Amino acid sequence: MAACMADWWLPRHLFAQRVAAARKPERRAIVVTFGGGVRYEDTLARDGWVNIPHLASDLVPQGIVFPAARHEGLTGHFNSTGALVTGSRQNIDAYGSEAPVTPTIFELFRKERALPPEETWVVATNKSFGLMGGSKLRPFGDPYSANVILPKQLLINTIKSAVSTNAGPGVEDRQALAERMMLALDEGYEGFGWKVFESGRTLSAELKASLAKSLLDYFNDPAAPTSGDELTFFMTKEIMNRFAPSLLLVNFWDIDIAHYGAYSLYLDAIRRTDRLVYELWQHAQSLAAYKDRTTLLVVPEMGRDSDVAGNGFANHRSGDESCRRVWLVALGAGVPKGTGTERPIRTLDVAPTVANILGFRMAECEGKALGELV
Amino acid sequence: MQFNAELTGDAAPLARTHSGVLARLPATVSAFILVELTKWPLLFPPEQRYQRALLEHLSRIPAEELERSVAGIARVEAEAGASKIGERNPARFQDEAQALLRKRGLLVAWRSEVDGLFQSIDPALEAQLYPADAPRRLIVQIYGREIAVQREKLWSRFKRAGLRVPLTLEGVADTERFLATLFAGAGNRRTTPALLDGAWVVEAHEALHALFDGGDTRPTPSRVDSLTGLSYDRLRSYRDDLTRTLNAKIQSGVESPQAFAAYARSLRIAPAPGALLRADDVLLAFVRDVLLTGNGTMIVNNTFVEWAAAQALRRAQPRVLATRFGVRDKLKPFSSMIMFSQARPTDHVPAVPDPAGSFIDVEQLSYYVWVNAEKNPAYRGKTLYLFLAEGVDEMLAIGPDTAAAPPAAIAPAKLEDVCATMATWLGVPVPDGSGQPIRALVG
Repeated sequence: MAACMADWWLPRHLFAQRVAAARKPERRAIVVTFGGGVRYEDTLARDGWVNIPHLASDLVPQGIVFPAARHEGLTGHFNSTGALVTGSRQNIDAYGSEAPVTPTIFELFRKERALPPEETWVVATNKSFGLMGGSKLRPFGDPYSANVILPKQLLINTIKSAVSTNAGPGVEDRQALAERMMLALDEGYEGFGWKVFESGRTLSAELKASLAKSLLDYFNDPAAPTSGDELTFFMTKEIMNRFAPSLLLVNFWDIDIAHYGAYSLYLDAIRRTDRLVYELWQHAQSLAAYKDRTTLLVVPEMGRDSDVAGNGFANHRSGDESCRRVWLVALGAGVPKGTGTERPIRTLDVAPTVANILGFRMAECEGKALGELV
Repeated sequence: MQFNAELTGDAAPLARTHSGVLARLPATVSAFILVELTKWPLLFPPEQRYQRALLEHLSRIPAEELERSVAGIARVEAEAGASKIGERNPARFQDEAQALLRKRGLLVAWRSEVDGLFQSIDPALEAQLYPADAPRRLIVQIYGREIAVQREKLWSRFKRAGLRVPLTLEGVADTERFLATLFAGAGNRRTTPALLDGAWVVEAHEALHALFDGGDTRPTPSRVDSLTGLSYDRLRSYRDDLTRTLNAKIQSGVESPQAFAAYARSLRIAPAPGALLRADDVLLAFVRDVLLTGNGTMIVNNTFVEWAAAQALRRAQPRVLATRFGVRDKLKPFSSMIMFSQARPTDHVPAVPDPAGSFIDVEQLSYYVWVNAEKNPAYRGKTLYLFLAEGVDEMLAIGPDTAAAPPAAIAPAKLEDVCATMATWLGVPVPDGSGQPIRALVG
C-alpha cells in the first residue's frame, strides 16, 4: 500500500510554486455550515448554549455574532446552501440534480483572479452537493467552479461495494475497506458525485494520492469511521494542509440525523459540529498559510421546524419562522473581537461578504456585504 | 380545470354533486381535493367526514365570495403559468404544479395563500365536525421500564403544565403488572376493559399487545377485535420486507424521488398474520404510509411510535390512544449510513441499547404527541392526558381544567385509582377491582 502511495505522491512545494504564479490573495475565507439546519432554540438561544460550548465560550468571544440572521427562500438543503454561495435565492431541484442558477463565489473569485481549481473547494457531507461548486452559466461554469468532494459518499459507496456479496472481508477489515476506497478513487470519483477539476496533467494523480492517503490515514485510526462529518473534517484538514485554498466551504451534515426523529442524536450531532468547527479553527491557526489571514464564517444553512407552529425538530418543511431564524458567527482576520449586533441580516449576505473579504467583485445578487466584517 | 379522477365508492357521487364548486376552484385546490377523494376506500371515517364537510361548505359559499376567497391562489397559479399544464390526472397535475411553482419561486407564496384559505374555512368546519359537547377523549403515554429516566428532567417539556400526581407502586414492580393494573385494575384481565373499546395502542416493543392477546400472535384473538394495535417489534418482518424491496428498487435505478414515492405507495407487501391486532385494508395502508412517509420510522422504534400516534390522531382520531415508548438501539456506524440496505450476516454489529439517549428522545416525542393532539379540534379541550413511566412513583396529568398543584396537595394514588380515573373520565364502567377516581382530575 505504501509503495503504491509513493508512486502517486509528489512533493507539496510543486503546488506552492504553481499557485504562487496566479494572483492568490493574501486573505483566506472559510465558510462552515451547520448543514441540515439547526433551530435557534437548540443552539444560540440561552438554553441551547449547552449544545454549542465551543462556539459560545471559545469562538464568539474572538469574533462577532449576528444572532438575528434569517434564511429566505426554500428550506431545502441544496437551495439554502446554494443561496449562501451565490447571494441569491435558488429555486431548483431540492436533490441537487441542477446547478445554482446564478454565479457562485467560487466562479467569480477564480475567474477574476485567474486562479487554478485547487484554490476553491467544497467539502460536503451531504451527498447531493456534487453541483454546489459552480453554476452552468456560459461565462462561468466548470472552468471556474470549485472542486467538490463528498467524503461520506465515497465511504457509503465503498461500504455498499464491500457488503454487496458474501465474499470478501466485508466492512470489518478496515485495511481492505481502505483499499476498496482507493480503488474507487482510481476507477473514477465522479461516479459518487465528486467534481475535481484538473489544471495540469499531474494534478489528477496528485489529488488522488492526497485524498487516498487521507482516507488511509483516517481508516487507520481504530475509532474511525463513526461519522460522515468526522470524515469531512479530516479531508478538509488534508486539503488545507496540501493545497491551502483561499476559499473553502465546509458542509457538516450529521445534524440531519434529526430526520430519524431521535432528538438525542440531533443534539449529539450539533455538539459534534460545534467541536469540529472549533478544531477546524485551531487547525487553521496552526498553519502558516492561514494563521492571522483567515476569516471564518459559521452559519446554519437554515433552521428546522418549531414544535408548535411547525412539525418539530425532525423536519424543515413548514417554512415557519423557526425554519428561517438562524445566526452567524464570524471571527479571524478583519473581524472585531467580542462583539455582537442585533442588526437583522440574511444568509444571502454571506456571499457578498466573502467577496469583500477576498477582494473580488460580487455579481449582482440579493445579499449585501456585512460591513462589520471588512 | 376538468380532471379525470378515478373515484370509487361514495367519492364518485360526492364529486358529482359538487362538480360545480370543484370547477370553480383554482386547479391546485381542486386537484388537492380530488387526490384525497381518490383515496376514499382507504380513508378513515373522520377523513371522509372532513372531505364531505369541506365540499358542502365550499358549495354553500356564494360564487363571488368564493372567487374572492381563492383569488390569491388563482393569482399565484396564473403567475406560475399553471394553466399550461396539460395533465388531467389530479395527482400527476399536483406533482407538475408543485415543480412549476418551485421553479418560478412561487412555492412559498402559494403555500401562504392556501394556508390563508384554509384558515378562513376551518373554523366553520371544526364547529360542525367537533362540537363542544363531543365525548371526552383520553391519551395515555408510558415510558418503558428500561428507559433511563432522569427524575429531575422528567416531562420537563411541559414545564409547569398539568398536575403531578404521586403514585404508590406496591405490587406492580414488573412491566406486566404495571400495565395490567393500569388498564384493568385488579380485576379480570381476561377481557379487554371497556375503557379501551375502540382504542389505539402504539408501542415500540410489545408489552401492551401481550397484555391484550397474551402474546398469542395467531390471528384469532377475538377479545381484541375492538383494539387497533401497532407494535414496532411485531412489524419487524414487514419492515425487513419493505427494506429489501425498496433497496432492490434503489439498486435497479430510480427515476426521481416522486417516482420512488409512487413505487413505494404501490407496494402490496403486507404484515404477517397476527402482527397487527386487526388488519383491514385501511389499517394496512396506514401502516405502510407510517413506515414510508415518516422520518426514521423504519429505523427508530420511538420515532415510529410518535409518528404513528400523530398520524392516528390526525386521521383516525381514536377516542383513546395509548403509547408506550421503549429503548432504541444505538445507531451502528456503517449500517446507519445506508438507510435501505441491510448488512450481510457476517457484518452484523451487535445491537447496543441506548437507555440514556432514549430518555432524551421520548421526552421530545411524547411532547409532540401532546402537541399534535392539542392542534387537533377533535382533542383540544376534551382530552385528559396521562404520562406515566414504569417504576416511577409519579404521574403527570393534563386535562382541560387541570390546575397545577403542589405535590403535597395531592394524595398518593394507586394504579387502580388511575384506572378508575380513566374509566370515569370516559364515562364507561369502572373495571372490577379498580380503585377510586382521582377527584382532582375528574371533578
